[in-house]
Amino acid sequence: MIELIDISKTYHLGDSDVYALDEVNLSIDDGEFLGIVGPSGSGKSTLMNIMGVLDVADSGIYLLDGTSVESYSAAELARIRNRHIGFVFQNFNLIGRMSIEENVELPLIYRGMKAAERGPLVEAALEKVGLIDRRRHTPNNVSGGQQQRAAIARALVTEPSLILADEPTGNLDSHTGAEIVQLLHELNATGRTIVLITHDSTLAAQTGRTVHIRDGKVAAE
Amino acid sequence: MILQSIKMALKSILANKMRAFLTMLGIIIGVMALVVLVSLATSATSSVSDRISQLGNDLFTVSIRDDGGKPLKMDELDALTAEDTVGSVAPYLQSSGNVKQGTSTVRVSITGTNNAYFSIMSSALAGGRLLLQPDLDNYAHVVVLSYEAAAELFANVPISDIPGQSITLDDLPYQVVGVLAENESVTSTGMESYSVYVPFTVTARMTGSSDITSFYVMATDASQITAAETALNFWLLDRFGDTDAYYVQNMETLSETLSSVQDTFALLLGGIAGISLLVGGIGIMNIMLVSVTERTREIGIRKAIGATQGSIMTQFLLEAMVLCLIGCAIGIIGSGIVLGIVNMIASSGTDASSTTTATTYTLSGTVIVVSVVFSTVVGMVFGLYPAQKAARMHPIEALRYE
Repeated sequence: MIELIDISKTYHLGDSDVYALDEVNLSIDDGEFLGIVGPSGSGKSTLMNIMGVLDVADSGIYLLDGTSVESYSAAELARIRNRHIGFVFQNFNLIGRMSIEENVELPLIYRGMKAAERGPLVEAALEKVGLIDRRRHTPNNVSGGQQQRAAIARALVTEPSLILADEPTGNLDSHTGAEIVQLLHELNATGRTIVLITHDSTLAAQTGRTVHIRDGKVAAE
Repeated sequence: MILQSIKMALKSILANKMRAFLTMLGIIIGVMALVVLVSLATSATSSVSDRISQLGNDLFTVSIRDDGGKPLKMDELDALTAEDTVGSVAPYLQSSGNVKQGTSTVRVSITGTNNAYFSIMSSALAGGRLLLQPDLDNYAHVVVLSYEAAAELFANVPISDIPGQSITLDDLPYQVVGVLAENESVTSTGMESYSVYVPFTVTARMTGSSDITSFYVMATDASQITAAETALNFWLLDRFGDTDAYYVQNMETLSETLSSVQDTFALLLGGIAGISLLVGGIGIMNIMLVSVTERTREIGIRKAIGATQGSIMTQFLLEAMVLCLIGCAIGIIGSGIVLGIVNMIASSGTDASSTTTATTYTLSGTVIVVSVVFSTVVGMVFGLYPAQKAARMHPIEALRYE
């Protein structure tokens, strides 16, 4: 259960303040597949960063599973990102020097898990996204769709309660994009909360619920 | 976690081998300079001190600078020998001359002395006898040869047959009475290894003066050194009435002075090498800063998936330290190779027929430990700022970095 209550965030660009988010109220139930739609610059990425505790709101309350994150230290926020949230980015954000398997393993290493326990989890995650035969490849040696699958495997390997996908199909052709969305649907079917951020309304139409955001405000549901 | 971080560090170093090597070069050169220079200095020091201590620390060398018109004579030394703490006294007079035997002529150093000299120098006999008191009393033209001189003059004669042979020393006939055993002390280096010993009275007569200008004094045993020195100084002051008239030198003080000078030298060299290590550390910091900037996005990704500031910090700090330690290891191996080459050159430069042993330069264990510790510290200190910079990055800004 995620609740955003009067969340505001301002960025300072030179002398002027830019309201990225203006008293946003939003609640997401467990197991929901929510689409957040809006044009670029509408504040949807800022919203995702705050939901993913990569950033902290200037004002308002963010309740993640009933607890407010405002009082958390940087180390505690890192722990929340590690245990409760999985990110899927538009540009995949895999580490190029490492193999797909190692990329997927990384969040478990930061969790402090032993190698013997990590192995089966990594394997299961790769199995789920259909990349088990590409595990030793580096991201550069696989297609964009496969890179995004690897990123999804990395997001779900920690069994997070929330997966945040920011334009996950933005860099993919429509066919591959549809596959990725299909994969997100499958994950949603196993009970995970998915938040899909996109400017593509046809994609948003496939989600369970859509929230439109414009100029830092929730425009319509 | 630490093991994982070390693995990660190794991986990112290996990902860019050429850059890693160039970065390490400063450390490699620094460590090599430190290890090689200090090892050379300490090996040389210990080799010289070894040679000096072979001479014995219970030995005093007395030189008469100004006898005030009353030159020291043989029989006066007998009075000194009578002192309880004094074991033996040997006057010596050194000159050089040519020895002829058959067709060969050898330039030798001639030491005029007495029987006590050989025990003071711990010279053993290989054959025949030493110089004895009657030789001195009778001005006997007898000579004891050093092993090297005997080998040079009587190349094909067994040592047992050399005593009894005749030689010509500075155009005067002498009879060989003894041959010394091989000796590797400081007195037997280079030219001086061709030494011959004749009765003190004989050299005195040849030089036209029976005055004693220098002599060795040995204490009865090591525990009596201080007492013997006191007795010696009393005796000399009583005899000459002026402390400036003579000069007493102890081998122990000599070797102490020498080794302290060389310790200072080693420290100085080590200091200079340490500075080059420090410069190497700055190189590490430079590259680590570049690496942190280059990997900004990676840092953002790591933070997004749950890396804490601590783990990012550890990762970059370990990377700097691993770089330094690999550099250090290569430097130590390089130093071993350099010292090996130095040893090879040193031993091939030594004449095969000469028995002088070349100093062998070995890696000093202390300096290896020092260089490992120093490299670790350098890695830590110079890795700290880049690591901190990486750890403090804001995750979103890092993720947006192109």
